[in-house]
Amino acid sequence: MPDIDHYIIIGNGPAGNHAAITLRKKDEDARITIISDECVPFYYKPRLTDFIADKTDKKDLIVRSVESYKEKDIRIRMGQKVTQIHLDSKSIFLQHMEKINYTKLIIASGSRARILPTMTAYAPYLNFITSYTDVMEYKKKIQEANKIFIFGGDLVGFKFLKTLVAMGKEVTIMIDPNAFWPFNLNNNMLDKIFSSLSKLNVSVIIKDAISTIEKHENFFSVKTRKGIEKTVDMVFSLNGLTPNIEFAKGSGIDYDRGILVNEYLKTNVNSIYACGSCAQIYNPSIKSYTTSIGWPNAVSQGEVSALNLLGDHKVIKAAGRKYFDLEGVKIKTTWWEDIDDES
Amino acid sequence: MKDINIVIEICGSAGEGTISAGEILSRFMSSQGFEIMSFDSYPAEIRGFGKCVAHTRISSDLIYSPGKLADVLIALNDNHAISQLSSLKENGMLIYDSQPPKPHKEDKSVVGWAKPGMISYGIPLNMLAHKAAGSARGMNMVALGALAALFHVNKQGFTDSIKTRYSKKKQIVIDSNVNSFLEGYNWTKENIKKIDSYSFEGIKLSQKKEKLIITGNQLVAQAALDANLTFYAGYPITPATKIMEILSKELPKHGGTLLQTEDEIAAIGAVIGAGYGGKRAMTATSGPGFALMTEFTGLSVMAEVPAVIINSQRAGPSTGMPTKTEQSDFNSAIFGGTGDCPRIVLAPSDTKSCYEATVLALYLAEKYQTLVVVLLDFFLSNSIKNIEIPQKPSPEYLKANIAPNIDDLKDYQRYKLTENGISPRAIPGTPGGIFFSTGLEHNEYGRPDYSQSCHLKMTQKRFKKFNSVLFEAPKPEISGTGKSEFDIGVISWGSSAGAAHEAVMSAQKQGINASSFSSMMVSPFPKKALIEFSNKCKKILIPELNFSGQFAKFATSILKRPVEKLNFITGRPMASEDILQKIRDM
Repeated sequence: MPDIDHYIIIGNGPAGNHAAITLRKKDEDARITIISDECVPFYYKPRLTDFIADKTDKKDLIVRSVESYKEKDIRIRMGQKVTQIHLDSKSIFLQHMEKINYTKLIIASGSRARILPTMTAYAPYLNFITSYTDVMEYKKKIQEANKIFIFGGDLVGFKFLKTLVAMGKEVTIMIDPNAFWPFNLNNNMLDKIFSSLSKLNVSVIIKDAISTIEKHENFFSVKTRKGIEKTVDMVFSLNGLTPNIEFAKGSGIDYDRGILVNEYLKTNVNSIYACGSCAQIYNPSIKSYTTSIGWPNAVSQGEVSALNLLGDHKVIKAAGRKYFDLEGVKIKTTWWEDIDDES
Repeated sequence: MKDINIVIEICGSAGEGTISAGEILSRFMSSQGFEIMSFDSYPAEIRGFGKCVAHTRISSDLIYSPGKLADVLIALNDNHAISQLSSLKENGMLIYDSQPPKPHKEDKSVVGWAKPGMISYGIPLNMLAHKAAGSARGMNMVALGALAALFHVNKQGFTDSIKTRYSKKKQIVIDSNVNSFLEGYNWTKENIKKIDSYSFEGIKLSQKKEKLIITGNQLVAQAALDANLTFYAGYPITPATKIMEILSKELPKHGGTLLQTEDEIAAIGAVIGAGYGGKRAMTATSGPGFALMTEFTGLSVMAEVPAVIINSQRAGPSTGMPTKTEQSDFNSAIFGGTGDCPRIVLAPSDTKSCYEATVLALYLAEKYQTLVVVLLDFFLSNSIKNIEIPQKPSPEYLKANIAPNIDDLKDYQRYKLTENGISPRAIPGTPGGIFFSTGLEHNEYGRPDYSQSCHLKMTQKRFKKFNSVLFEAPKPEISGTGKSEFDIGVISWGSSAGAAHEAVMSAQKQGINASSFSSMMVSPFPKKALIEFSNKCKKILIPELNFSGQFAKFATSILKRPVEKLNFITGRPMASEDILQKIRDM
C-alpha cells in the first residue's frame, strides 16, 4: 500500500473538478490527479459556440486556471486518455501506455457526441461541438464556409444555429426528435420549434430523415428521404450526448448506457465512484437508473462522490427540475417523475 | 504572407539518431530559404546512453541567438524528454511515442508530465519505424515525417534532404530512412487532428542566396586553410577536436603538416617551434588544455614568435563540463601566464566571425610576432548556422611577416627597437639573419641581458607593438549609432553578443531606448570606443556566461562606473530573452 492515498479523477468537467476540490478540502495530504483527454484546462463548454464565432477567446473559455490547481496541489494531466481500468492492481492505463496506481477513483468522464446508428457510415463527414478539440479542428474552416447543414439539433445545436445565422451563414437544420436524448420531442414540440426557427431565416426540415451524404471535392450534398437535396460546405451532427465510458467496459465495473452507481454514487466496486453525465444513478423511489445533465447537477454530484469516497454517506440530492427554453419549448434537465421543480 | 520564428528540439538517447534528425531538419529548412541556428547538447561520456538534444531555431527573419525555450519538443526517449520539458514553452507542442514497446511505469512517460496548455500529439513512432524498416532505428525519421505533416512542409524536399544526408550510405539505409519518414508523414496526415497554429505554408522569405550550413569549428578550419596555415599541432579535446579532425584530412592536401602531440604543452611547443621556423602555425584546445599551454605561451611573447591558439571554452574550472558552454576563460586568455605578457585576444561573436577571427589571428600573429588567442566556446564551436559564403582573405592577410632588408642584415638585430615596436624578423636560413632566441630577457640581438634598463625597454617594446593592433581590428559593433543618448547600453563579448544584439533590437521595438556594443578584439581592448559608448548610456548592462563577471570587471576598470551584470552558468548559450527581461527590469 502506498503511504498516502492517490485519488484519481477521470474527467475535467464540472463534476470532476468539484470532486477534486472537495477531496482537497477534506484531505490535505492525499495525492489528487485529474486526467483529461483534452489539452485545455477546465473550460466552459457552452461558450464554445461563441468561441467559434470569435466572440470570445480561449482565455474566456477557461473556468479554472492551471495555477489554481497548483495552489491546491492537484495534479492535472491534460491531453491524456484513459484506456483501461484494472481492478485487481487498482491501476489505470493511459493511451500513451502509462500505468498509474490509485487508491480510489472517481469517474467523471462526461459525454461525447452521439452518432445515430443510421449515420455511422457518414461519421468521417460529420462535425461535432462536444469539445474544444473538436472546435479547433474546424474553426477556421467554418469561418470560411457559406452553407452549413445541421442534423439533429440538441441544446447546443440551437445555440450554434443562431451563432451561424449571426455569422451570416446559410443554415439548414434537420431536427431529429431523438436529438435530445434522453428526452424526445413530440410532434407538437417539433411544430412549435419549426415555427420559431423559420422566423430566423433558417431552412428547417422536420419529420424527415437523412438518406445519403456524399462528399465531393469542395462540398457535400445531403439528400433526405423526402427528396430534399442540399449542397453545403459542412455538415454538423448534433444529436445529444452519450456517456464517455469506453475505458471502463470490460473492467468489471457495471455499466448500462453510463456507469451504474447507487444513490451514494458508488459503483459496484468499493473504491470507485462515478458522477456527472457519464453516470446512471439509481433512484430507490422509482427503482430505476437515471441520468442528469447540466452544470448544477454535475457540480453537486462531483461534491457528493468525493465526500462519499472519503467515507461519508451522503445520498445524492435529486436536483430540482430545471428547464432549458428551446425555442419556446421547455426541456427539463432531470426527468425523475417525483422530483419537485426548483423554485 | 506571414513570418515564422520557431524553436524545435529533438530529445533522445545517444544512438537514437537525435543529432542526425536535427541536422537534417536544419539543412532542409535552410534549403527552403529559412534562417536557421542550431546546436546540439550531448553527454561528455563517449559510451553510454546519455541524453541528447538537437535544438534548432528556424526563422523567416535574421536570427542572432538560438532561442531560449522550445516551441516544439519531439521526444524520442521519454526518460530524457521528461527533464527537457522544462525547456518547452508553456503553450508548446509535444510529439511523443504513443505506442512504446512496453507500458511506462507511473511518471515515466513524457506526456504524463505534459505542461498545462501544451498540445501533445501521440505518434506511434516505434511501431511505424518497425513497419517501415523492421527496427526502432527509424524513429527519428518517423518523427520528422510527423513534423513535416503537422507543419505543412514540402514532403518531397524533406525526402531529398534525407537522401542527401545518407547519400554515402548503402541504398538500404537510404530507403529505410525515407520509408520511415513517409510512414510518419502519412500516418500523421491521416490520424492527427491538428489543433496548433504552426505552419510553414505561405511564409514570406527573403531572396534565397547560396548559403553554407556550417559550425564555428568547421569555419575555423576552413579559415586556417584559406589563410595559408602550414602547421597544426594539437591534442584532441572537446569542444575543439573537430578543428583538428578536419585539418588532419585537409591540411596535408594543402601542403601543410599536422602533428598530434602527446599533450597540450607539446602542442604549443611545436606551434612555437614552427612559428620560429617561419610557418603559419596554430593549435586548438579548450580550458584544461589552455591551462597547460600557459606554460609555453610566455615564450611566444618573450621570443616574439607567432603562435595562434584557438581556445574553445567549456564550463570549468578543471575538466569541468566538457559539453557545456561557458565564457569563463576570459581572464585566463587575457591575463594568464607569468610576467608582463601582452597578447592579442580575439572573441568572435557568431559563426561567421569565427572565419574572420581565424584569418585575422594568423595574420596578426605573423605581423606582430606574438601570441594570438581566439576565444570560441562550445556553442560557437558546435552550433550550426546557415551563412553566406565568406570572402576569402585578401593577399595582404596571407603574407604579413616584416622581413629584414639588406641594411638590417648587415648587423642583424632580431629585437631591434623600432618606432612601432615591431622588429624585422628573419626566418631561419636567411643569409645574415642569424640570431639568438630564448625565453630569457634579452637585448636587441637576443642575447640574455638582465639589466634593469634592458628589461624595461624590451618590456616597453613588447607592449608598444599593440598600440597599432587596434587599427587592424574590425571596429566594434554598435547598434543605434544615430542617437546621441541611450537609456541602456548593453556591452557584450563573444557568443553572448548575438543574444545581446537581438535583445536590444527587441527592446527598441518595444520603445526602449537601448543600444549594444561588442568588439571582436578584447585584447588590446578598444577602450576609447568603449568609453565613448558608455558616455552615451545612462545605464550599462554586461551579460556574460560566467559566474564572477570576468568581462564586467575588466570593463568596469576601463569605464570607472558601476554596471549591471547578468551572469549565467547554465551550460547553455546566452538567451536574448533573458537579456531583454533584464533590460525591461532596469
